[in-house]
Amino acid sequence: MLAQLVFYVFAAVLLLSAAMVISVRNPVHAVLFLILAFFNAAGLFLIAGAEFLAMLLVIVYVGAVAVLFLFVVMMLDIDFTQLREGLQRHAPIGICVGGVLFAELIMALSHWTMAPAGVSVPLQAAPGLTNTAALGTLIYTHYVLLFQACGLVLLVAMIGAIVLTLRQTGSGRRQNIEKQHARTPEETLVLVRVPLGENVLEQGGFLRPQTSYYDTAVPGSYGSTGQPAVEKEETGA
Amino acid sequence: MPSVLGDYAPVLVFGAISVVIAAAMLGMALVCGQQKPYPEKVTAYECGFEAFDDARRRFDVRFYLVAILFIIFDLEVAFLFPWAVSLSRIGLFGFLSMLGFLSVLGIGFLYEWRKGALDWD
Repeated sequence: MLAQLVFYVFAAVLLLSAAMVISVRNPVHAVLFLILAFFNAAGLFLIAGAEFLAMLLVIVYVGAVAVLFLFVVMMLDIDFTQLREGLQRHAPIGICVGGVLFAELIMALSHWTMAPAGVSVPLQAAPGLTNTAALGTLIYTHYVLLFQACGLVLLVAMIGAIVLTLRQTGSGRRQNIEKQHARTPEETLVLVRVPLGENVLEQGGFLRPQTSYYDTAVPGSYGSTGQPAVEKEETGA
Repeated sequence: MPSVLGDYAPVLVFGAISVVIAAAMLGMALVCGQQKPYPEKVTAYECGFEAFDDARRRFDVRFYLVAILFIIFDLEVAFLFPWAVSLSRIGLFGFLSMLGFLSVLGIGFLYEWRKGALDWD
């Protein structure tokens, strides 16, 4: 009874939020509704007993994919007046595509046969194992080739993303970390005794040794060769 | 399946409570608060000065790179969970197959490290 109630709540919220995803005006709100839909789908998976899938949905889809969707949505420059301009021209094409898809759906549904009620689905739970453990016993031994192929796909995705998007601008100030860690205060600080009541600027400002900024800079990065342009700014402050 | 529902009953209770609290906060503000909006009041607020421009603008592709790399390692971690649960049943072969998987992704990690994809500049 309670399980059915929870199921209907999750299913109703899932359907509502899925409808909101495609009907809401603001694309950022659409992505947020998509996240709500993911959460409810995870709840449905939990009720069906598929704990691992539910957690995967939360970790991967809500944690990572939705973030990526938000990125894409925020990167798009969506102008509604501009979007509505093409509506008249593109409407016939859109209606054609939608009609074809709808006809295909009708054809698929008309040939759909339901199993008679009472026929049990030929799925057997692994005896004495939780869902996750049953998956684990199969993935890493029986399906080892596919598993390693997954690793290769992930590697290709990683290298592809880096090759496509990584642009070293060289405008950053990167440090040679080992050098920076090995430095002592004596190398980087000069203590100046300032008389009481005197202006600090008259004593030369806040002084750093000339090499303090750029002797730990990575060669080629910003400021690695540049002379006191930065130091002067500091003094003026 | 009542057993699963019983296991996750605390989570369900927490979820219900959070929904109630959120609805109460928004609803009370909506019901009890005085609302007299005028155009100047509902403009985007940006630390007191006029908003520069729209929030929808291009930003650095490196944010995207960080997100992609996060997804990839997220998926890698997702593979670790069932492996850890069933490690006692899959024997040495299962252990080594996961090591192979991790080393393939470790090569990718070394690549992005040496390439400087993890440095911001």
